[in-house]
Amino acid sequence: MAIKKQESIVITFPTTTAAMAFESTAQAAGVQGRLIPVPREISASCGMAWMSRQTAEKELTDFLNGEGAALEYMGRYELML
Amino acid sequence: MTKNKERNYLLLVGGLIGILSIVLMLKGNPANMGFCIACFLRDTAGALKLHTAPVVQYLRPEIIGLVLGSFLISLGTKEFKVRGGSSPVLRFFMGMMLAIGALVFLGCPLRMVLRMAGGDLNAWVGLIGFILGVYAGTLYLKRGFSLGRNHGLGIAEGLAMPLFEVILLILLLAYPATLAFSTEGPGSQHAPIWLSLVIALVVGCTAQKTRLCQAGGIRDLIMFKDATLLWGSVALFATALVMNLIYGNFNFGFAGQPIAHTEHLWNILGLFIVGLISTLLGGCPMRQLVLAGTGNTDSAITVLGMMIGAAFAHNFGLASSGNGTTPAGRIATIVIIVIVLVIGLMNTRRQKA
Repeated sequence: MAIKKQESIVITFPTTTAAMAFESTAQAAGVQGRLIPVPREISASCGMAWMSRQTAEKELTDFLNGEGAALEYMGRYELML
Repeated sequence: MTKNKERNYLLLVGGLIGILSIVLMLKGNPANMGFCIACFLRDTAGALKLHTAPVVQYLRPEIIGLVLGSFLISLGTKEFKVRGGSSPVLRFFMGMMLAIGALVFLGCPLRMVLRMAGGDLNAWVGLIGFILGVYAGTLYLKRGFSLGRNHGLGIAEGLAMPLFEVILLILLLAYPATLAFSTEGPGSQHAPIWLSLVIALVVGCTAQKTRLCQAGGIRDLIMFKDATLLWGSVALFATALVMNLIYGNFNFGFAGQPIAHTEHLWNILGLFIVGLISTLLGGCPMRQLVLAGTGNTDSAITVLGMMIGAAFAHNFGLASSGNGTTPAGRIATIVIIVIVLVIGLMNTRRQKA
């Protein structure tokens, strides 16, 4: 299991529903990423987060201001995953 | 903490909990029940005279220790965060139903793993139901199931559950005469108080740090193809199995297993309820206790619900015994499955795409 760690963007959500909605909207808008269990570094509680290795900061910000403007999320992090 | 480190930590902690569970059993806890959240909440309910089944009454220090262990470590690591308010009444009733399902099978997911490691094939049959339950739960999650978001709450709200456990501890140590204790049956079998308490504190601490959860492990595997959390349960199974083999407690087969019955359908359906509700609530019974210690009042209300559900299970003859299920228990199982499926639908909204 030698997956190389990379700088990744991680987004957390208030509910699993919000996480699911985020993923499908992002996918529809062509923003690459996927759902993962919330990384331990961010929170001790369980739940879902969205992460992306490919997406650039700028692309994500544009998405959040555009197609994803109505989406609910809590935090935005940069981590080595 | 990287993925690999997280997995190694879970292997270590799962393995440790497996060993400690068998130690508790060797030191007096009932067979294949070194740890069982549903059973121990039921015994606690009995000790508090919320039910009067004479064989299952004992104030289990394991429950107290789990909550307080998680409470102390989360204070230390500043992860104690008071939050709640996500459908508390529904969570209470779902906790009740979860406990009833667990007592039809005779164990929570943790005891299921311990029973599996004791060679009890009925638990392996039950595992099918548990996996199906978790799978059904993930289908709801994917369709937008939610009990609503939680909110930050005042410190007193978060301290209530840990302090309740402190009061129980004081009752147990200083005023045991006020409690009901079994003189025969599983409730009369228990390890020394201090040993139970210390082991549970260790388990509470480590389980909080690792998020160990049987239902969560299967859920993550199904939803994210991520086996990290599952490794904890695998390690727990492995060390408990080895300990059982060493100490001659491994009995392979269906018949004559301690505190278990051989009715396959009801073992499956009982754990189906547990898997489904655990997934909808976001954690199996042990995880709910641990979260309750970290200031999660949604979990605290679930724990109270489980305790009352366990009391109901005995007051109304729903709980199984070594002789098998009861007619009322079988009816309750079906009714609960229908109710939970409906709750699932009522809290599912189509995702806004």
